[in-house]
Formats: sequence, structure tokens, C-alpha cells
Amino acid sequence: MESHIVLTPEILGYMGSLPVSNTLLVSWMVMGFLLIISVLATKNVQLVPTGLQNLVELVIEGIYNTVSELAQEKTKVIFPVVATFFLFILTANWLGLLPGFATITYKNLPLLRSINSDLNMTLSLALVSAVITHGLAIRYLGVIDYLKKWFSFNPIFLFVGLLELVSEFTKIVSLSFRLFGNIFAGEVVLSTVAGIFAFLIPLPFYFLEIIVGFVQAAVFMMLSLVFMVLLSEKHTNEH
Amino acid sequence: MEQIIKDFGIQPVFLAAQVVNFLVLLFLLKRFLYKPILKVLDERKKTISKSLQDAQEIEQRLQKTVEEQEKILIKAAKEAAGLIDSATKSADLIISEAHTKASLNMEEMMEKTRQSLSAEKEKLSQEVRAEVANLLTLGFEKITGKALSKQDQEELLQKSMKDING
Repeated sequence: MESHIVLTPEILGYMGSLPVSNTLLVSWMVMGFLLIISVLATKNVQLVPTGLQNLVELVIEGIYNTVSELAQEKTKVIFPVVATFFLFILTANWLGLLPGFATITYKNLPLLRSINSDLNMTLSLALVSAVITHGLAIRYLGVIDYLKKWFSFNPIFLFVGLLELVSEFTKIVSLSFRLFGNIFAGEVVLSTVAGIFAFLIPLPFYFLEIIVGFVQAAVFMMLSLVFMVLLSEKHTNEH
Repeated sequence: MEQIIKDFGIQPVFLAAQVVNFLVLLFLLKRFLYKPILKVLDERKKTISKSLQDAQEIEQRLQKTVEEQEKILIKAAKEAAGLIDSATKSADLIISEAHTKASLNMEEMMEKTRQSLSAEKEKLSQEVRAEVANLLTLGFEKITGKALSKQDQEELLQKSMKDING
């Protein structure tokens, strides 16, 4: 088994004119998985929860409380977005640890690949996060106040604002590369260790990756949440 | 920059596809997961707070009832004490009345008894006297052989009676 370290996603085939990469395929699987779970859990919602509903409630309530502590009155708008980030990334990371990923091949290419080991996927998530962040800021502040955050007639504040504008792009880069780097590195470590000796030795690394998968999902969620809350807050200490 | 994009295999098609994926997932999860779960969480919260409130109300009502009960009990005890008191008083009265009445009755009865006893005694002594006189007369007649005159009889009787009495 040769271990291949490829940064780019492998294209398995074409669906019409849409190239289907292995990461795209897995992201559909993740979506399907989440949907099935949510439909099963909420098919018969009861006031006294049992089984799957209980588990889902635990997760949702945990995220909701975290969000509402920071976002307060904006929770209703922000919660679905950041919760989806968390659930999607967490499911993707953990699903990517299952056997079969990177080992089952199709036309000599790995059929399944952990989503977040493809920069396309993390970058698009970061872009969505950024667009929603700025959209919320415009919605809560209005266009004028939003633009005032970056541009000012005071040269010092103008300079600061421009720096902040640059940092907004940095946020996209840091969000996407952090997630990508962690998961990609994890994949490389796992395949390398498995290449050395495939039995037992990779186990601790799998535990590590389970933790990393959770932490990265939480970090992405928390950062998006904080960015959204901060940017949609009114500038009170202006002048 | 272009080199980086090429190295990482960034393709606008993938970016767009993933953005669409995410938005679709966001919409679906909102509809099928967040809404029903948050709704049921909210409902449960309301139910619990309502039950707690109800419980508090019930507790308060119970407290009130207990207090009222206590009041009623205290009142009843007071009334009972009053009743017992008056009953005791009237009983004492009745008893003392009965006592005085009984003692009066007893005196009367004793008086009567005494009178009847003395009458009886008088009667008895007269009878005895007559009997003794008779006997004496008979005895004298036997001894003396002559009948005593009325005068002698009387004289003798008087004398004998004196002896008996004295």
C-alpha cells in the first residue's frame, strides 16, 4: 500500500459538467447522515424525550446555550448557522476516521476522503462564515454604520479601519487553513503510522484524531460565533 | 498566490458546490432539527416552570388551610374548655344542692324516727306496766289467797314500778 500525500482532491468523475471529487461525495454522505439522524430524532417529538431525541436534544441544547450566552438577542439568527458549522464539521471529521477512507479505491483513486483535508471545502465554509458575518453586521447595523466600521474621515481611524478590513480577509484564511491543516495533518499522520505497522500502533493516534476532530469543529463554531457577534455589535467607544 | 491556489487544487466549482451544500444543509437542518428540538425544549421549559408555579400555589394553599385548621382547632378547644367549665360549675351546684337537700331530709327522717321510737317506747312501757300489774295481781292472789282490792292493786303497782325503775 503506497501512502499518497496529495493536497488536491481527486476527481472521480463528472455529473453533467460538475466534477465530482471524493471530498464532495463524502460531504453529500455527511449531509445525508445528518439529515437521516435529524429526521429520525424529530419524527415523533415528545415532551418526555427518549433515545435518539434525548441525544440530539443534549447536543442542540448545549450549542444553543453556548450561542445564547454570547449572542443574546441575536441567538435566533446566529444559532442555526454556527450549529450547522459545528455539526457538519464534527460529523465530517469523525466520519473521515472510519475504515475505508483513503483505502477503498475507485479507478486507482481513493473513493472516500475526509472532507476537511481538502482546502476547497474548508475555504468554502470560511467564505460562508465570512459572508454571513458581514451580512448580519449590515442587517443589525445598517449599511451606513457598517461602512463606518472601516472608513472614517479621521485619518487615524481610517488607517485602523483599513487594517481591520485586511484582518477580515485574514480571518477567512485562518479559519480555512486551521481546519484544513489539522485534519490534513491528521490524515497524513494516520496513513504514515498505519504504513509503519497497521495494528494497534495507530490506535492512540485515532483517539487523538477524535479529539482533534471535535476541537476543530468547536473552534470553527466558536470563532464564527464570536466574529458574528463582534461585527454586528454597535461601535460604542467611537470618539 | 496562483501557485498556492494550484497547489491546493482550489477550483471555483468545488467552492460553489460546497457553499450550496452547506446552505442546503443549513436549510434542511433548520427545518428538521433545530425547529422541532428547540420548540420541544421551549415547551418543556414552560411546562416545568408552570408545574413549579402550580406546586408553589398548592403549597401556599395548603399552608393557608393548615393555618385555618389550627385556628378552628384553637377555637374549638376554647369552646370545649368553656363548656367543661360551665358544666363543672353547674354540676357542683347540683351536687351541693343535693347535699343540702339530702342532709335536710335526713334530719327530718331522724326526727320522725326519734318521735316514732319514743312513742313506741311509751306504748311499750305502758303495756309492760299493765302486764306486770296483771302478773303481780295474779301472784299476790296466789300467795295471799285473796283478791286484792282495786286500791291495793294500785298501791302495789306503784310501789313495784318504783322498784323496777329505781
